[in-house]
Amino acid sequence: MSAILEIKNLDKHFGGIHVTNHVNIAFKKGEMSAIIGPNGAGKTTFFNLITGFIPSDEGTVTYEDRDITRARPENIVKLGIVRAFQVASVFLEESVYDNIYLAALSHFRKNAKVFINRMAFKDAREHTEFILNKIGLFDCRDLKASELSHGDMKVLDIAIALTLQPKILLLDEPTAGMAPDERIRMMGLLKELHEFFQLTTIFIEHDMDMVFGIAEIIRVLVQGQLIAEGPPDYIRNHETVIEAYLGKEVL
Amino acid sequence: MKKIKAYLPWIVYFVFFLGLLVVNPGTHYIHLVSRVIIFGLYAVAFNLLYGTTGLVSFGHALFYGVGAYITGMLVKATSPEFFVLYILLGAVGAAFVSFFIGLLTLRLTGIYFTMLTLAFAQLVWGLTFKLYNFTGGDDGIQAIAKPEILSGGVTKYYLFSFAVVTICIYVLWRIRRSPFGAVLNSIRQNPQRITFLGLNVYKNQLKAFVISAFFAGAAGGLYAGLDGSIHPDMLHWPTSGNAILMATIGGMGTFFGPIVGAGILTGLEEIVGKYTEYWSFCIGVVVLIVVLLFPNGVLGIKKIGGSKNNEEKETEVVCNSGD
Ligand SMILES: Nc1ncnc2c1ncn2[C@@H]1O[C@H](COP(=O)(O)OP(=O)(O)OP(=O)(O)O)[C@@H](O)[C@H]1O
Ligand SMILES: [Mg+2]
Repeated sequence: MSAILEIKNLDKHFGGIHVTNHVNIAFKKGEMSAIIGPNGAGKTTFFNLITGFIPSDEGTVTYEDRDITRARPENIVKLGIVRAFQVASVFLEESVYDNIYLAALSHFRKNAKVFINRMAFKDAREHTEFILNKIGLFDCRDLKASELSHGDMKVLDIAIALTLQPKILLLDEPTAGMAPDERIRMMGLLKELHEFFQLTTIFIEHDMDMVFGIAEIIRVLVQGQLIAEGPPDYIRNHETVIEAYLGKEVL
Repeated sequence: MKKIKAYLPWIVYFVFFLGLLVVNPGTHYIHLVSRVIIFGLYAVAFNLLYGTTGLVSFGHALFYGVGAYITGMLVKATSPEFFVLYILLGAVGAAFVSFFIGLLTLRLTGIYFTMLTLAFAQLVWGLTFKLYNFTGGDDGIQAIAKPEILSGGVTKYYLFSFAVVTICIYVLWRIRRSPFGAVLNSIRQNPQRITFLGLNVYKNQLKAFVISAFFAGAAGGLYAGLDGSIHPDMLHWPTSGNAILMATIGGMGTFFGPIVGAGILTGLEEIVGKYTEYWSFCIGVVVLIVVLLFPNGVLGIKKIGGSKNNEEKETEVVCNSGD
C-alpha cells in the first residue's frame, strides 16, 4: 500500500545529544498509528522535524511524493499536515468559538482580508459550527479559552487542527495530564474523528490503554532510534521494547 | 444592543470633538485639542503594533517624524497649494521607510526588536542635524504655509485635522475588526499557533508595521501644518516613548484607549507645565499610578473590574466534549 508520508534517514543532534537517529518510517494512508517511548526519547522532536518547525541535519521527508524536508512550517500546514501540541496551544484571550473561527478563516483563505468585518464569512461560520458540534465544544463556545478545563483545552487544540481539514493529523500526547474518565472520552473522540474525517492519524502517547486500544501500528522510539514497529500484539511481546520501555507494566 | 455597544465609542468621539466647537473654549484650547486628535491618531496607529500585534516598537517617532519632514520640506520646496497631497506623500514616505526597517527589525523578537527600532529612529534623528540644508538641523523647518482655505484661525485647521484623523481612525478601526486584524491580535497571544494555522507570522507583522507607520506618518504631516513648524524633537526617542505611554495609559487592549491616553498626556503637560518644569516627572508618577491601579489602562478598567472573571477561572467549566 502507498505511503502518504515517508521519512528517510532523518537525523538530528542537539549539541551532544542524538535526538533523532537515522529514522526511517513509511506512514500508510488512512492509518491510525502511535509513537511511544520514554521521556526525552525524541518524540516531540520527531514531530517538530516533520512539520518544519526545526530543521533536520540529514534525511528527507516526503509527503505525497513531494519533498517537504526544507519547506516552511506554514506551507506544510497548507499542504495538509497539521498538529496539536503536547501543551495545548490555543489563543487564551479568545472565546472557544473565535479560536476555531480563526482557523476557519485561515482554512478558507480569508485571513488576509483587511477591510471586511471578520464575521462576514458564511462559509467560515458554518464550518466553525460544524466543528464545534462534531467535537462537542458547542455548549462552551462562548467561554474564553483560558476558562476551559485542562482536558477541554486539549480538545480545543485538536479542534483547531481539525478545522484546517488536514490529511495527516499529528497529536502530541492528546491525553497528557487528563483524569482517567477524560482519557476514555478522548480515546473515543479520536477514533471517531479519525474515521469520520478519513485522516491519517499519528499520535504520541504515554497512556498504554489508549495506545494498545486504538493504534493499528505502534512505533517505539528510544534515544532517537526506532527500535520496533508493528501491530499491537507484536509490540506487546517484543523483547527489546519490554526491556527498554514497557517494563513490567505490560498488559 | 451589541451593535450599539460597538458604536458607542464613535458617538462619544464625535460628540466630544465636535461639541468642542459648540462650546468654543477659545483658540488656546482648540489648538490644544488639535494636538490631542493628532497625537491620538499617532497613538492609535502605534497601538495596532503594540496592543494588537504585541510588538513593542521604540522607534515610532521615526515614522511620525518622516511624515512631518516630508510634508514640511515639500511645502517649502514648492508651494502650500498641494498641502493635503503632501500629507499623503508623507504617510507614503513613512510607510516606504518602515518597509525596509520592518524587514530587518522583525527578524528579531522581544527586547532586541525594541532596541533595534530605537537605534534606527535615533540614527535618523541624528541625520536631521547632518542634513542641515534639507532639514534645517537644530532649528527644524519654520513657517510651513498652508493653503488659503486652511489658514486664518485655528478652527479651520482643527476641523481639517479632525476630518483627516477621523478617516484614518475609521480605516484603522475597520482593519482591527477584519480577519487580518484578528490574525494580528492572535499573533500577540500565540505566534506559534498562527504558524501552525498555516499563516506566516513575519509577513503579517510586516504588514502591520507598514500600516502603522503609514498612519503615524499622516499624523506627523498633520502636525507640520498645525504650528507651521517642525523640529528634530519629533524624531527623538521621547516621542517614541510618548506613543507607548499614550497607549498604555489609555488602554492598549482597547481601540479608542490611545486617544484617551493622548488627551491625558496632553492635558497633564498643559496643566502641570504651568506650575513646574518637571512635568515629565509628574507624568512618570501618573503612569506609575495608572499601571498599578489599572493595568489595562483607563478604558480597560471595565475588563478587570469585577472579580467575576477571576472566580470563574478557579472553577473550571467542563464541556461535554466528545458526544
Ligand atoms: N530545541 C531544543 N534544543 C535543545 N535540546 C532540545 C530541544 N528540544 C528538545 N531537546 C532535547 O531533546 C531531547 C528529546 O526531547 P523531546 O521533547 O523530543 O522528547 P519527548 O520524547 O517528546 O519527551 P516527552 O515524552 O517528555 O515529551 C530531550 O533531551 C530534550 O531536552
Ligand atoms: Mg514530548
